[in-house]
Amino acid sequence: MATKLKSRKKIDQKRERGGTDPKYYEVFARKDSHSELSHVGSVEAPNDQLAQVRAWYIYDQHKWKEMCVVPLEAIITVTEEGKSAKIKMA
Amino acid sequence: MAYTPGNPGTKLDNNFENDLLALADTKLVLGNWYAECVMNGRSLPDFAAILGMCTSNYGHTRAIYQYLAAHGHDYEHLERGRGPEEIHSANLLDKAPTGWEDFIVSTWLAELSTWMLASGFLNHEDRAVAGIAKKIGEETYFHLKYAQGWFQIIGEGKKQTKLFQKAFEIRFPLALRWFGPARGKDPVHQAGDRNTPLRKLRDAFLKEAGSAEKLLGAELTQEKSVDFGKDWRSNARRSGAMPDSLFEVVRFKDSEIAH
Repeated sequence: MATKLKSRKKIDQKRERGGTDPKYYEVFARKDSHSELSHVGSVEAPNDQLAQVRAWYIYDQHKWKEMCVVPLEAIITVTEEGKSAKIKMA
Repeated sequence: MAYTPGNPGTKLDNNFENDLLALADTKLVLGNWYAECVMNGRSLPDFAAILGMCTSNYGHTRAIYQYLAAHGHDYEHLERGRGPEEIHSANLLDKAPTGWEDFIVSTWLAELSTWMLASGFLNHEDRAVAGIAKKIGEETYFHLKYAQGWFQIIGEGKKQTKLFQKAFEIRFPLALRWFGPARGKDPVHQAGDRNTPLRKLRDAFLKEAGSAEKLLGAELTQEKSVDFGKDWRSNARRSGAMPDSLFEVVRFKDSEIAH
């Protein structure tokens, strides 16, 4: 028999996740100054600050020298002009 | 200032030791706050961030305990052998958070106040101390950013903003208490173990705490007169003993099986 969970907490998912549509950021990092800045994955976050923190803790497989996040909406596609960049979760 | 490799085995100044212990113990409790509250995160990436902040704080505690152990303390006693009256954590974290807004306010104030004190050791002549302070700073950067990200989200909701303001009103004087009386003695600075006077660190804390208003988009009441009560202990940076209910959370449950 399935357990019915009762919860009194109400979380405004829409507000806390950043609006109706999820907001994605692409994550780029380099291991050292000789390495290229490479795409390591993506994160979903309601704002830039949380995107930075979430990226830092999720993609912690290396002691990165540098890490950047780019809002997906800021990426302008070249090969498929007019279309959104395809998100690629690592 | 030239760094020295330090002198393990030598006895440290009592006041300096007390400051290190207050820092380590507050971070022990803060780590436990994150551990206890992780499932209140708002998404899987949030869980990862909260757990990351939890382990960072445990790491800071462990590093300081080890440093103290290298200077005459018993590590096992520091980690597992002390009672609630011997743990020097900030009063700020004595009471459990009442909600998400209170959790964000309290953890942020704890991160900010501990970093302020730790930053005073960045140029310590013992490179072990300076290194621990630097590491705390590097990691706290992300912890503070996490809170700042949440300020903006909380600020978008009227009810949430009010809850934040209420929590700030209660927690802020407790965070300020940790710095001690505004015009109190500062033996750690006078002895040369902390190169920045406590008064300056306290001022910097006040300034930083005020900066939250901009991100939140609302005013915050900074009650600067702190009630220290009769049982204030300057050596522990707290009033009274840690509440039993909190001790039950942070104490080692099976010390006999620890290695």
